[in-house]
Amino acid sequence: MAEKTAERLPQTEQKANDRGLLDLPFLLLTVILVSIGVIMMYSASYPRAFQEEGNGMYYFIRQAIFAVAGILVMLGFSRIGYQIWRRFAFTILGAAIVLLILVLIIGRSGGGAKRWIYIGPVSIQPSELAKFGVVVSFSGMIAGLKDKIRTLKYGVLPFVIMLVPIVLLLALEPHLSAIVIICLTAAALLYLGGLPGKWFLMLFAAAAVFIGAYLALRGYASDRITAWLHPEDFAQTKGYQVLQSLYAIGSGGLFGLGFGKSRQKYLYLPEEHNDYIFSIVCEELGFVGAALIIVLFALLIIRGYWIAMHAPDRFGKLVAAGLTTLLALQVALNIGVVSNVLPSTGISLPFFSYGGTALIVQLAEMGIVLNISRSCKNNLL
Amino acid sequence: MSNSDKKQTEQRKTDRINRQVVSRTMILMILCGVCAFLGLLAALFNLMVLHHEEYEKKAIRNQTSSIAVRATRGVIYDCNMNILASSYTVQDVYVNPQEIEKAGEDTGLMASRLSEILEVDRDTTLQRILDTDYAYKPIRKKIPQETADKLLEYVNTTGVQGIYMEPSQQRYYPYGSLAAQVLGFVNKDDIGGEGLEAYYETTLEGNSGKVIKTRGNNGTAMLYTYEKYYDASNGNNLVLTIDSTVQYYLEKNLQSAIDRYTIENGGFALVMDVNTGAILGMATLGSFDPNDYLEVYDTAKAEQLEALYQSAIASPKGSEAYTEGLNEYNSKMATARLKQWRNRAVSDGYEPGSTFKLITLASALNENAVTLNDTFYCGGAADFQGRSQTLHCWKHEGHGQQSTAQSLGNSCNIAFANIGLKLGGQKFYDYVNAFGLTESTGVDLPGEGKGYFFSKDLLTGASTASLISASFGQTFKITPLQLVRAVSAIVNGGYLLEPYVVAEVQDSEGNTIEKTEPHILRQVISEQTSATMRTLMEFVVTDGTATAAKTAGYRVGGKTGTSEKIDEYDANGNQVEDKMVSFIGVAPINDPKYAVLVVLDTPSRATGLYIGGGAMAAPTVKDIFTDILPHLGVEPDYGADEISAVNVVVPNVLGMTADETATALKERSLKFRSVGSGETATGQIPAAGASIPGDSEIVVYFGGEAPEETVTVPDFRGMTVSQARDAASYYGLYIQARGTDKISGYIYVTYQGTEPGTEVPRGSTVNVEFTNNSVQD
Repeated sequence: MAEKTAERLPQTEQKANDRGLLDLPFLLLTVILVSIGVIMMYSASYPRAFQEEGNGMYYFIRQAIFAVAGILVMLGFSRIGYQIWRRFAFTILGAAIVLLILVLIIGRSGGGAKRWIYIGPVSIQPSELAKFGVVVSFSGMIAGLKDKIRTLKYGVLPFVIMLVPIVLLLALEPHLSAIVIICLTAAALLYLGGLPGKWFLMLFAAAAVFIGAYLALRGYASDRITAWLHPEDFAQTKGYQVLQSLYAIGSGGLFGLGFGKSRQKYLYLPEEHNDYIFSIVCEELGFVGAALIIVLFALLIIRGYWIAMHAPDRFGKLVAAGLTTLLALQVALNIGVVSNVLPSTGISLPFFSYGGTALIVQLAEMGIVLNISRSCKNNLL
Repeated sequence: MSNSDKKQTEQRKTDRINRQVVSRTMILMILCGVCAFLGLLAALFNLMVLHHEEYEKKAIRNQTSSIAVRATRGVIYDCNMNILASSYTVQDVYVNPQEIEKAGEDTGLMASRLSEILEVDRDTTLQRILDTDYAYKPIRKKIPQETADKLLEYVNTTGVQGIYMEPSQQRYYPYGSLAAQVLGFVNKDDIGGEGLEAYYETTLEGNSGKVIKTRGNNGTAMLYTYEKYYDASNGNNLVLTIDSTVQYYLEKNLQSAIDRYTIENGGFALVMDVNTGAILGMATLGSFDPNDYLEVYDTAKAEQLEALYQSAIASPKGSEAYTEGLNEYNSKMATARLKQWRNRAVSDGYEPGSTFKLITLASALNENAVTLNDTFYCGGAADFQGRSQTLHCWKHEGHGQQSTAQSLGNSCNIAFANIGLKLGGQKFYDYVNAFGLTESTGVDLPGEGKGYFFSKDLLTGASTASLISASFGQTFKITPLQLVRAVSAIVNGGYLLEPYVVAEVQDSEGNTIEKTEPHILRQVISEQTSATMRTLMEFVVTDGTATAAKTAGYRVGGKTGTSEKIDEYDANGNQVEDKMVSFIGVAPINDPKYAVLVVLDTPSRATGLYIGGGAMAAPTVKDIFTDILPHLGVEPDYGADEISAVNVVVPNVLGMTADETATALKERSLKFRSVGSGETATGQIPAAGASIPGDSEIVVYFGGEAPEETVTVPDFRGMTVSQARDAASYYGLYIQARGTDKISGYIYVTYQGTEPGTEVPRGSTVNVEFTNNSVQD
């Protein structure tokens, strides 16, 4: 009977709210990772905070407060029926585009790129909102498409048209990692929606051309490639950061130097409490500790996809999978960058890197996935 | 029904699409949730476990690179612990071009200021400052503290960034050129370049240690640090056998001989303890100052080089003439430097000449091939079996019948040819080897030569030419050190020693690590032969060619020598007529302690002075003995006839009665003549404090003042001993004679210390030198 209702009526917020419990594994994994992140923040940021703020606890206290706030936000979002995001999908995407334009005008630069908008003490990255906007809007559109997704007119063109301005705006910042993550997440969503393989081939070909052109045009990026391949040749310049990161990771060994005993955090490794916090994790906790954290991330991501699979409708499935993919890409790219598997690009590690807004946004997204988990069915179809 | 069919179709379609979403989500889960992380785990495993040690090493270097501790190079002391060489801290200046670029400093201004303060070229400095590929560019090494202070002031007052200093070391030789070739020098890379500095490099340098101590990137302290000390063990100190006082007198007297006799190619000398082999002094002149070892100290040579350089750079830059000119300049500069750095007393073989007769005679006596009772006839020329040329003695009319002692005293070549033949080639060869003249002495100095000597076949063959020449020290080469060692063996009872310069090695705290013990290699001749040789050597000084070596208060033995340069040719291919004159002396000869060899290379033939070891080297050795023996604790014992050879200080006799005056003067071995008839002395000539030869007469005035007048110094040159004494007395002067004191028509003044025509107070002393122009060594 319940199933029949579900088929006949579109699911409402009301209904969603009434549904079962939060997915406990997903919730626990998130809270554990955030806790480890805050603890590692204490260790990694201490020397820098002491040097720059005169208080070794400066970044740690802030990150801890944001973590608590973020978990509350997550729990709050888990109570908001996820269908609401379908309704506001385009509003969110529109707002993100406006902010992306705005950031080029009033944004503050960091490392030669304009990525942040400061409103009083709060700083936001419009690219974060754009990622979310793309996930919900694409999910909403794809959910309504069914078989039409196989056509150029409905399955490819609208999405490409939506992506182009976003990618262009991000390219102007420039913000390469956001472009990569948004494009890959969009591709994942289209793939889940049933887009045939041939279109992927074409999309990837287009993306390859685009990336090639981008690299050719932006000198600093291709410098970055040579520094990536031969960091020791650029030990004092482009290769400095990744080399320092490799020293940290490599000196960790199997069991690490022990919590709090990193040496590279003493102002050798730049961004050690930010994009490169995972290097300090490796140095202090060793391969065993780093692997444990990676396994926790992997479990969280697998659980996210599990929720997507068990979501009651296509939109829920797509949003859960999309947000999980965002998380997975962010984690994988960050670890790939700090270990020099990938060329360096500014990308933070979810739940670990310093930054209140980013932490709250990520946890809010986890809240949305949790909300979807409440509607999960036991069988997959 | 159709509606229901449609519914069913729709339902199937929805199911299929939903299945597709689920299956594709599964694929994504495997890709993003499993595969990606497995890949990253593999990458991390590779870095953290497989390459752990490599990265750990690099990380440690990264975290500790800036801390290194330099070892202080060891000190070199003389035998009385006077510092001959030590190192002090100086600063090396470098810039960080990257930091300068970042800070946006005015590089032009910085280059100007740096060039001004550090006295370096501005353009080169600017080039280095602008080389932003580097974070480290040296500007100037080893600046003294004063300059460092100036630089600090500039950096501190302007707040300019990117200029740094790091401590380094500078070697300092407080006595300048004293014993320069023995000490050597330390080159710009802080490595010993020559002499002891090179030979004992590993002993002196120490181990540059490291304090591996973690330090934050900005020098901040780390909470968890680790430290590892690789102790910088400072270099060990050397205590030499060299006595800087002896060395000073050795160099002083050698230099004054070079000046007095106009020696063209410098000279070398050494002092050895005959009983231990310890070298107390070793000098080669012209020398250099190891504090600035690259400078050429031969002024004439330096001027030539400068002229060469100027003419080279006068050509357009880059032209062939320019390059060739500079190449020539550089190669000549290198030759000039190598020449002044060379320790000739150890490195160079030379023809010993007649000094070698000591070895021939000692060997023959030891073998009983000759005895003291033998006589040798010299008719001025002699033919020998197995030698085609007639041998001429330097004395054309011949020495007549001579005893063995007289043969040595006369330095008669014909007698020594016979002694050599009596000994025989085989024995002669064996003794030359036994005296260590064909082997290195093993002295602890670099670049030791060992000369070259006849092969056994040449000495024992049918031709006696080689044996005869060798018997009186010609046509082969040995090093000065080999000769001194062999002569030491002759006088010390026959024991051949290993000479040494380093008496002791100490750690940086002054604890003895190693002590050199005298090392006797073998006994070459018997104590008996040695005693006989001592007597014969003293005879050479008392009655032979070396009377100029008589040293007041001491008994000296020795042998003169004049060597030819048989292997040197002039521009026309003729053998040069240049000579090396030498004397080896031992004192006290009755209880031998020290041997001194002086060799003067090429006395100028233009001066007209008589060229010979007895005339030039022997008085130099006498001067050296006079200076060093009292310092070394050998007290003089003046015989009655030697008083006149020693200067005494005139006492103050004013106010004394005639009797008192006589007593006071007698104490100083002086006599007086009184003028006037007063009770007490009212004036004296010379005045109290003047230094005059012992046994001289002073004039004491009793009543009336001593006339205060000056006299003009006459030209004593060419006067015989008695003529000179008369002239001095006539002018109211005293003469202090050096050189031989034999009264003979052949002996006359060749040199006087005060120029003729100089106005001096009556009663002054004039140094004159008598030379025996009749003897050849």
